[in-house]
Amino acid sequence: MSTETGFDPGPKALDSSVSQFVGQNADYYAREFEKIQGATGFVVSWNSMAAVAGPLWGAARGAWGFFWTFLVVELFALVQLGRGLWGELGADQIARYERLLANIAKREKQAAEVAATDPAAAESALRIADNLKRVAARAKEQADAAAGEATEILLIGIGLLIFVKLIEGLYANLAYEKQYLRWRGRPSIPSGYKPNNIGFGAILMVAIWPLTLFRFTVTDPDKLLAGLTGGFLGKTVPITDFPVQKEFFASWAKKGDAAFDWLSTNFGDVFNGVTAGIRAILDGLEIVLIDTPWPVVMVVLVVMAFRLAGLRVAIFTAASLIYLAMMGLWKISMITVALIGTGAALCVVIGIPLGIWFGKSRRAYAFAEPVLDFMQTMPAFVYLIPIIAFFGTGKPPGVLATIIFAMPPVIRLTALGMRGVPETTKEAAVAFGCSKYQLLMNVEIPLAMPSIMTGINQTILMSLSMVVIASLIGAEGLGALILEALQYAAKGQGLLGGLAILFCAMVIDRIAQGMYRRKMES
Amino acid sequence: MGDEVIRLDAVWKIFGSRATEAMAAIQQDNLSKAEVLEQFQCVVGVADCSFSIEKGEIFCVMGLSGSGKSTMVRHLNRLIEPTSGSLSVLGRDMLGLNPEELREMRARHIGMVFQHMALLPHRTVRDNVAFPLQVRGEPKSQRWEVSQRCLNLVNLDGYEDRFPRELSGGMQQRVGLARALASDPEVLLMDEPFSALDPLIRRQLQDQFMALSADMQKTTVFITHDLDEAIRIGNRIAIMKDGRVVQIGTPEDIVTKPADDYVKDFVEGISRLKLVFAHTIMVPLDEYDGPSLDGAPKASHGADLDSLIDISTGTDAPIVIQDDDGNDVGVIDKGTLLKGIQGGKA
Repeated sequence: MSTETGFDPGPKALDSSVSQFVGQNADYYAREFEKIQGATGFVVSWNSMAAVAGPLWGAARGAWGFFWTFLVVELFALVQLGRGLWGELGADQIARYERLLANIAKREKQAAEVAATDPAAAESALRIADNLKRVAARAKEQADAAAGEATEILLIGIGLLIFVKLIEGLYANLAYEKQYLRWRGRPSIPSGYKPNNIGFGAILMVAIWPLTLFRFTVTDPDKLLAGLTGGFLGKTVPITDFPVQKEFFASWAKKGDAAFDWLSTNFGDVFNGVTAGIRAILDGLEIVLIDTPWPVVMVVLVVMAFRLAGLRVAIFTAASLIYLAMMGLWKISMITVALIGTGAALCVVIGIPLGIWFGKSRRAYAFAEPVLDFMQTMPAFVYLIPIIAFFGTGKPPGVLATIIFAMPPVIRLTALGMRGVPETTKEAAVAFGCSKYQLLMNVEIPLAMPSIMTGINQTILMSLSMVVIASLIGAEGLGALILEALQYAAKGQGLLGGLAILFCAMVIDRIAQGMYRRKMES
Repeated sequence: MGDEVIRLDAVWKIFGSRATEAMAAIQQDNLSKAEVLEQFQCVVGVADCSFSIEKGEIFCVMGLSGSGKSTMVRHLNRLIEPTSGSLSVLGRDMLGLNPEELREMRARHIGMVFQHMALLPHRTVRDNVAFPLQVRGEPKSQRWEVSQRCLNLVNLDGYEDRFPRELSGGMQQRVGLARALASDPEVLLMDEPFSALDPLIRRQLQDQFMALSADMQKTTVFITHDLDEAIRIGNRIAIMKDGRVVQIGTPEDIVTKPADDYVKDFVEGISRLKLVFAHTIMVPLDEYDGPSLDGAPKASHGADLDSLIDISTGTDAPIVIQDDDGNDVGVIDKGTLLKGIQGGKA
């Protein structure tokens, strides 16, 4: 009998592995497990202990999923019970009724005071009091109705609790049998009957149940607690709200402000240099795209599309360019393309070397990964603020924002491609005397190329999606057009502008992809 | 055959972060492989390997997977650094080379063929073969000329402009062989070159390789897990187990005198007909006391069992075995011959 592996198919061995798993009550569980394993559909397997003890049974048996699920479900049923038994239902209506009564008394007193001198005013006060009485009566009615619901809620609570207990009793063995099967494969899964766990489970229940019950069944728990503990709990340390306001937040935000100010005064030259560099590239691209006569740019683009990506892309390019021109968007489209072009080019120039480095060094990648996550997931508005602080407004900061958002894909995919180069191929190259540089240029980069190209493609598309956000900090172009449409709810303008961005993106992407495919085929 | 080309002296390779500690413990306390794993979480890849290979020899290293044969061969061009021991190739101490010299050694003097070909998928067959020369910085015209010559050697002319993916497995491995030959190295390392191929193609490539190597006389270390292949190809065979060399010898030595039960198990299924020779099984003339030897057929002491059977089927008399000078030295009758074929169970 090899019970140690737990894989012996003999019926006896199975029994003994069950008894090894359950510890106590082995006969009962062996019988029930057999029943469950022999059934094809739903099977009734009642566990009274689980029904009575509920979550504590789960704790004792190491079935913590069971424990937590029924801890919460039972608590829900108990809250209903508590509300039915001692909850002040309709308390808000009663409070209102009392306020109204006080108000009525005040009006009546007023009326009595002025009755002699000013009968008209007295009558008006009495009329108001009458009206208020009607409202008060309605409030009292609602409060009574709510109080009347107490029995109903109590009954629901009781019904729910019984239902939960039934489910516990019926579900326990099914869950336990699953745990047993997992335990056979992985002995680290909890097994056996553990009295200590009951204590632990009970502590968790004590920590969770009373406070929650108190919170949901008492009208103003903080006030009640303050009364009980002399103001310590409830007032100084409220239980409905975390006892911290904005005091930490404000001081840290102020420190952040100071840090940014310090950086922008001390490193102003650096920031200006970056801005100037980006502007130089932007200006160059804008001269090429905007100052060159439009027929020339159009012809060059279409011919380039045809040469690099074939006839279909060329036709699509021509149609897109005609759309941009006919809608009067030619110039701002070219501004946008220059913006994206600068951003994407910088992403590629910076991102590919970084990706190669991260692909080779696991440690560097481990450090970089959170930064990349930050760049991709942090909402653009968060880094727009410091960008404005350091670089001002206009197109170069827009390009910077684009770079932050669009660079991670090319870095990640380059690193992925580098890691995907087969070890055997690298080994062969080294065996023929490759230096590290030769290995990189002749083996690693060419084999990583498909992945790198996907990265570049992703980067271009993500740059385009940043156009509108970049326009928030004063970058002109199609993004500004859409931003304007948004401000004036100009639906048509927004749609046409959006289409223009889409066409720009598709033309750039199709040409880039076609170029790569062509290169692969040659 | 000539002088020694490769020499290994007490080479050990231990994998793991505590390799040096483990090495010291092994030398001191003579730990076993399992104990090293237990105590240091280190795996012994190669244990105390010493042998030398002479010029022009085909040296087969045979062992099952995990026996350390691929690890061992990677020491020869230092793709793997030994933990201790010394090794020299072509008279140079490999461990004393600086990176520049090591690259030079790999690019000019040691060629390698890999089990999984490891061709560059983005290059044509021609450029793949020319790769070692490109690494060395040769001009294009020369690279291509050499590449063409090597492709002719492996009967692949006409495929220069194809890409590796367009070729069958056998053809790809021939490209791999051509690439290894391109730099005209003195030493060829072949790491299970034919293992991934189907049996028919494997046999063809073995034949082609043997013809080539008879021509070129390159010192070859040939790794295989197939004893048949080792016997077919090798001048000498080293059998490895658990990182250790269990036995080194000629194919006949291995088959007729297995060093231990492990080797014996391997040898069991091997056909002895072409491996066992007359002098191994003959009864010396002075011990012979059977029927008269008058008119008995004669055979050389180097004749294999296969040819002895041919002779024996044509006559009833025993066969007289002669040495190189034509002196009668021994006798093989039918019983001896049958026992010899059966092998080992005398």
